[in-house]
This record gives sequence, structure tokens and C-alpha cells, in this order.
Amino acid sequence: MKTVIINLIIILIMPFIMLGFIKKTKAFWAGRKGVSLLQPFYDFMRLLKKGIVVSNTTSFIANIAPVIVLSSVIFAGLFVPLAGGLSVINIEYGFIIFAYLLGLSKFFALLCAMDTGSSFEGMGASREACFTSLIEPAFFIITASACGACGIYSFNSFNTFISNINMVSLCVIILAVLAFFIMLVVECSRIPVDDPATHLELTMIHEVMILDNSGFDLAVLTWASGIKMVLISSLILLFIIPSSMPYYISLILYLLLYCLIGIVVGTVESGIARIRMSHILEFVFAMTALALVILALITIRIYGG
Amino acid sequence: MGIQRRLSVKNIICKLNLELFSYLRKNMKILVEHDLNGKMNLFFTGILILILGGVLSLLFRETVKLKFVCLSSVIASILCIISVIKSQGPSILFIPPFGNVEFACDSLSSFFVIVISLITALASIYSIGYMKPYENKNKKFASHCLFLPVLTASMLLVVTVKNAFYFLILWEIMSLSSFFLVIFEDDKKEVLEAGIKYLVYMHISVLFIIAAFVLMSIKSGSYDFSSFTSIFEGNNHFKDLIFVLTFLGFGTKAGFFPMHNWLPHAHPAAPSHISAIMSAVMIKTGIYGILRVLIFIQKPTLFIAYFVLFVSVITALYGIIYALGQKDLKKLLAYSSMENIGIIGIAIAAIIFGVIYSDNYVIILASLGCFLHILNHSVFKSLLFMGAGSVYSLTHTKNIEKLGGLVKKMPFTAVCFLIACIAICALPPLNGFISEFTIYLSLFNSLKLGNASLFISIVLSIAALALVGTLVILAMTKVYSVVFLGTSRSYHSNDVNSDVSIYMIIPMYILAVLIFALGISSLYIADLIKIPYDLFIQQGFNINLLFNIQIILLNISVFVVLFIMFILLIYGIKKIVVKNRVNYETWGCGYQDVNSKMQYSAASYVSPFTSVLTPLFKKISDVKKPKGFFPKDAHYTSEVEDAEEAYIINPIIRLDEKFLAKFERLQDGNIQHYILYGLVFLVLILIGAVFWG
Repeated sequence: MKTVIINLIIILIMPFIMLGFIKKTKAFWAGRKGVSLLQPFYDFMRLLKKGIVVSNTTSFIANIAPVIVLSSVIFAGLFVPLAGGLSVINIEYGFIIFAYLLGLSKFFALLCAMDTGSSFEGMGASREACFTSLIEPAFFIITASACGACGIYSFNSFNTFISNINMVSLCVIILAVLAFFIMLVVECSRIPVDDPATHLELTMIHEVMILDNSGFDLAVLTWASGIKMVLISSLILLFIIPSSMPYYISLILYLLLYCLIGIVVGTVESGIARIRMSHILEFVFAMTALALVILALITIRIYGG
Repeated sequence: MGIQRRLSVKNIICKLNLELFSYLRKNMKILVEHDLNGKMNLFFTGILILILGGVLSLLFRETVKLKFVCLSSVIASILCIISVIKSQGPSILFIPPFGNVEFACDSLSSFFVIVISLITALASIYSIGYMKPYENKNKKFASHCLFLPVLTASMLLVVTVKNAFYFLILWEIMSLSSFFLVIFEDDKKEVLEAGIKYLVYMHISVLFIIAAFVLMSIKSGSYDFSSFTSIFEGNNHFKDLIFVLTFLGFGTKAGFFPMHNWLPHAHPAAPSHISAIMSAVMIKTGIYGILRVLIFIQKPTLFIAYFVLFVSVITALYGIIYALGQKDLKKLLAYSSMENIGIIGIAIAAIIFGVIYSDNYVIILASLGCFLHILNHSVFKSLLFMGAGSVYSLTHTKNIEKLGGLVKKMPFTAVCFLIACIAICALPPLNGFISEFTIYLSLFNSLKLGNASLFISIVLSIAALALVGTLVILAMTKVYSVVFLGTSRSYHSNDVNSDVSIYMIIPMYILAVLIFALGISSLYIADLIKIPYDLFIQQGFNINLLFNIQIILLNISVFVVLFIMFILLIYGIKKIVVKNRVNYETWGCGYQDVNSKMQYSAASYVSPFTSVLTPLFKKISDVKKPKGFFPKDAHYTSEVEDAEEAYIINPIIRLDEKFLAKFERLQDGNIQHYILYGLVFLVLILIGAVFWG
């Protein structure tokens, strides 16, 4: 029960803090003072109080889509192990459900964008759909190799690399962290794939998809995107933090590292320019390449010499 | 004289009776052996009702015809389903000119009987509404009403017959009747071409099946399926040969790469309920054939396993990549059928790996996934085809670029289509997810069965399955958003006033409910219709394995229910929180004269992806650029051609035509010459017989 509550709190509250850290870091590198760490949360509350403006073109899809996006992302979070390697719903093969729940959220986010009949939102939807399509195969390659390596068919297989460390598992950990960082950047639409702060509709990806959402819908969609970021960060942390640690120490480590990932994302955003739109798929494919290297390493470890 | 004559007639009758009696007594032994207590009587009654319904429909008026066929087909389906659920056991049917033909509903057959009965019954209800505008086409309409039940009956018999010879006859009846159904609109050139392509493909494929069956029956000395199981022992090359032959044959029917090319032509050409039947169940008879041959082979070789895995992965990827590029709604669905056949093939490969390495857990999971996916695919794909048919019947176009905004005009169809789209993307909480999840499970469990090459191939096929999953999302969001969302792109969709008739909506809703039911209670339904997960089980089966799987599926069911409740909860919160709702136009970035032509089109939606894969797509584009200061007209159309068709099949056809054109001179219309040819032919045969006879 304790872990259920703590996990839920992390899943639901951490997105705002992570977003706050990203904003603060970007402000720091830009030499500004920046908004308060809790500003994303204040924005969220402000949006909730507002009414919503709906496009005349939209149908029932625009009404239900944000709800389904949010619920599927939250539900996906229940399958991800957080502090202490414990998840709310701990069943085998939870990662398949996790991946497909994210798929469901994507499906409805795309339909929601296309529902408005706006060419800008179509553009965003098209880009988001194409750029994220290569993520899932890489995710499954890494997961399947990890499962094959240790014989545990759940997210906790990620955790086994750090607990018995050697040359191969160290390589796997580094590559996997890199791969999941790419996943984080792509899925959560951060620089160098997408710039959430851009002001030109033609260059937006995720932001342009939610142009016509306002009030509750907008709040919910931004929140869902933040939750997704926390979840993918948790996958990264699974590789780094061993589960054998005492629960509270690992909890504190988790909280600190979430903030650190936020800072890293912010630093990357300040340091790198966006990739040209036509080259983004190549960047995404880097995750697949990393995943294939991980597969090769693990195969060698299991079957080779 | 008169008395004598009467006596002699009586004598003859007596004699006949005696002979019949002795004949029956002779065959009694077989009957007793097979324990025939009318096990399949209901089933055969169903078949009889089907065929009678088709034949008798010729007597009725046009407006009643299809309703009569539909009624008979629904009754027949109910009878067939009851018969296979209630009892399983072989049955011997005495067909006058052929003698005894053995039919049996073993667990594999009965599963397919259920799927076929279910979908054909719903499709025949749908056809009443769909065929309404065609009632004035007297002859064609009558032949359609005749062949529809014939197709159903032949499919039902194909999956139950246990004799290779009769199997081939029924297979042929199935192909021919579906051919006649496909070419319903034969006044259109492309329909006829598609039909002929289908016919040619089916006849090339049946050659491979005949070859395989003949080889097997030569070896076993009988055409009975039961005799085929004993001929493979230890003979690995024979196994490979037979399997590859049958895979080529049955795989063509199923739509495996590279024999898939009839699918994207025949499905768009056929009336929608026929496409639904063909895509949902008829291509599955190909899968049935492959599974049947696997049962004969019993211990497949590793070559077979890798072969199936490789072909299936290619099929799934190829199908979905081409589905992305299509703008013809039904062609897209046809390619997506191909993709699903690939997924089913991956499950079959997992079954084979399980059998080879004697891992019952993998076998059960893979069989469960395979059969559930067959069932699920027939449910959501027939719903998608019906939805496409409804769109076509109101807008008269299959080109999705000309549609849009139909969600407001056809709300019932739109909701059903959305449910089917989510299901086909294998997203939770609907049925597609359950089967794909089980297939994933079987793959994950076969990771550690063998050596490194198996490990790598399984991981890569898992990745392929995942890639297919995301591309399906891309393809289906494209279809749904371009057809139903946004605003109308042309008069086609603008002129729609109301949704389709009730006959078309009811079967769609039944299917939509089934999708939910299969998603929530997959375990219960798998139990109810006796999914034959135990077909390939090896020795040392432990019942705990089954419990384990049941627990996993039960967990999924609970999770699905919770998830649906959670969505409703959040929706309720939204209803409470949101107080003000204002309608306004879509944000146009400050631009005022937004029109529907400015929406994103289907081609542009997928263009970031297709542009990466340009080598695969042979694009045929017709461009006229605007010129001068006041450009008058400009247009741009593009079409994607199947690479296999463009680079392999069409060149072969051209070569063939070129070659055959050389013989054109023989056909000069002079009757004397034709007689001469005949004479020369006979003389040649005579000489041949003399020298080699």
C-alpha cells in the first residue's frame, strides 16, 4: 500500500517538478532568473479553472481523446517499477501493456489533432506519428534482450545489469541509458527533435498538435506528456539504481535523479540546436542502432565464449 | 403377362434393396468404427439449408431474394455452431456418385467452423442493405444470391472434410464461387481484371497443393487424411518438400508474401460484404491448410520453422508498409489483412519452435495467440470492410482523399469503424491487444529455447511485431482521420445526408460488441468455443502451465475492466470540472479563408515515412505544374504501386504476352486450319503412343 501511494504521488506530481527543473535550467543557461520550480503546476491549476473553446469542426473524438490520453498514460505508469524496483501492478510482461498503452495514447493524440481539420495540426500529427514509429521496435529489442539475458520477463530485468556488474553489463547499461534518453527526447518532444518553446507553427511537432485544445483538455494533455517523461526517466533509472538498496535511500535517489534528468534535458536543450526536420528519423534510428548493439552484446554474453 | 411383368419389377426392386442392404452392411464396419451417432447431423442440416436457400432464392422476387438467403444462412450458421460446440466426432457422408466421404469436426475444424459461420451470417445480414441498389441487375443479382451460400457451404466443408481428393474438389468450388462473387460488377474493366487475376493465382496455387497431396497419397497409398500422419517419420527432406509445396499453395490463399498480389486487387473489386467474408474467413482457410499439414508432419524441421518465421515477418512488414501508401480504402484494408496474416504466421512459427524444442508452454501460448488472432482478425477486419462498404455505398468512392468529415453524417458507422481501428492497432482494451499480447508472450518464452541464431531471430521478430504495431497505428489514424474527421473534401462526402440502412448497422454493432467482449473476457470465450490450444502439445504436458496462462489472461481481463472504468472516471471528472464550453473556428494561424482543401491529405500524412522508403514505392505521379503569371490549371495525382507487382509480376506477364503473341498467327479464323491442327495433334499422339507406349 505504501509503495502504491508513493508511486502514484511520484507519477502524478513529479512531471510538474521535472518540467520546472527543465525551465529553470534553460533559464540558468540563458542567464535569466527563470520562473519558480512550481510554475508548471500553477499553469496546470490555472488551465483547469478555465472553460474550453472547441473548434466547430471537431466531433466527439476531441471530447474523449484528452481523457483517454491521460488515463492510458497514468495506467501505463502503474506497470513501471519506481523506487525499490516496485511497481503498483507487478505482473509479468507488464512492459508489453506499458508500450501498448503509450500506443493508445498516441493513437488518440493523433486523432484529436486530425479532428480539427487544420493543416497545421495535420502536419504535427504526421510528424509525431512518423518520428515515434521507430521507437517501439528499439524499445522491444532492448527489453527482449534484457529478458533473455536474465530470464525475468518484466521491467525488473533492466535492474539485473547493475546488480552483477561486469564489462558487458556496464556497456549494456551505458548504451541502454543513451537509448532511453533518445526515447525520452523523441516521445516527450524535446530539443533536438522538437522545440516546445517555438513560436512558429510550421516547425512545431507536439505543440502544434494541441493548438486547438484549451482549458481542461490542454492541461490534461500537457500533464500526460509530463507523466510520459517521468515514466521514461524511470526506465533509465532502472538501469542505474540497484533494487537491493534500502527502500528510502532508493526513493531519495530516485527523486534526486529525476531532477538531474530534468537538468540534463534542460542543458541539452540549451546547448544543442534542433536537427533539421528531414534528419530527425536518422536521429530516432540511433536508438534502434544502440538497441541492436545491446542485442549483440547480450547474445555474445549468453552464447559466446 | 401383366402379373409376370409386375413381379419382375417387384423382383428388381427387391434385388436393389438387397444390394443396398448388403452394401450398407459392408460399410457398417466403418460406420461403427467411427462411432457415428449422428454427431454431425446438425452440421449437415445446416449445409443443406444453406444450399437450398441459395437455390430456392432463384424462385423469389428480387426484393425478397437476399433476405431469404440471409435467413437460411443465419439458421445454418446457428446450426453449425451448435453442432460443433455440442459434439465433436467424425461422420461419414454418403454422397451418391462418390461413395463415402469422411467429414470430421476435430478441434481444429470446429474452431474454423465457428469463425466461418459467425462472419458469414453477419455478412449476409449486411448484404441485404448493401445490395439494395443493385437489385435491378437481374441475372447478376440472382447469381450473387446463389453463390454466396455456396461459398459459405464450401468453406465449411473444406475445413471439415478429411480426404485429400474431396478437399481439393471443395477447395476448387470455394475458389470458383468466390470468383463469381468478386466479379459482381463485371461491367467495370478493373473488376474483371482483378477477378481474372484472382482466378489465375488460385489455380497456380492449387497446383502446388495437388502436387503435395499426390506425393503424400502415393507414399501412404490412400487419400485419407488419417493415413498422412504416418508417412513422415524421420524423412526430413520429404517434410521440407511437402511443407514448402503446401505453404506455397495455401499461402497464396492466405496472402503470404510473395504470393499476395491477388489480395489488393480482388478485395477492392468485390462487393464489401464479399471482401469482408474473403478477408475475414476465406483467407483463413489457407491458414487452416497450413496448420493441417503441420499436424500431418507432427515433428517439423528447423528449416520449416525459420522459413515460416522469415516469410511471416516479411509479409507483415510488407503488408503494413504498402497499407500506409494506399489511398483506396479497401486496398488499404486488403494490405492490412496481409499484415495480419503475417502476424498469424509469426504465431505459427512460434508453435513450430515450441514443437521442435518440446516446450509445451510456448506451444500453448502460441496456439492460443494464433487462434485468438484468427478469430479477432475476422471480427475486426469484417467490421472494417463493412464500414468501408457503408462509406462506399453512400459516397460512391473508395478514394479516401475525396472523403472527410463523415463522422457527423454517419455517426453509427463512424463509432463502429473507430472501435475496429483501435482493435486492429492491437491497442488495449480491445480484442486485438489480447491476441497480440499472447503472441508476444509465446515469442518471449521461446527466446531461450535454442541457440544464438534462434535468440537473435526471435528478438528481431519481436521488434518487427512492434514496428508493425506502430505502423498500423500510423495507417489506421490516417484512414480514420481522412475519412471521418475534419471537413468534407469533395462533393462525394458532402452529399451524404444520413447514415446507412439498419440492415448494415446491426451487423456492425454486433461485431463491435464482440470486439469488446473478446477484449474483456477472452479467457471465457476461448474456453467456450474450445480454442484448440492442445493440438500440438508434446509429451510431458503439465496442467500447471495452463493455469499459469489462465492467470495471466485473467489478470489482463481485470486490468482491461479497470482501465475502462478509469477512463469513465476521468471522463466524469472532466464533465464536472469543465463548466464553460464555447464553439469557435479552428485556429488558422491568422488566415481567414480556410477551406477544406487545405486539410492534410492522406498522402501528406504519411509522407515523412514513405519518403524514407522511396526505393520500395514505385510512385506513378501525374503532375502539371502551374505556369505563367495567371496559372489556369494545374493538377497533381500520385499512386503507389506494389514493388513486387511492378518489378516482378508485370515483367513476367509482359514476357508471357510477348511469347504467346508469337502464336497469334495460328488463330486465323479459318475453320479448316483448326481441323488440321486437331488432326496433327492426334497423329502426334498416335506416333507417341506407338514409340513410347
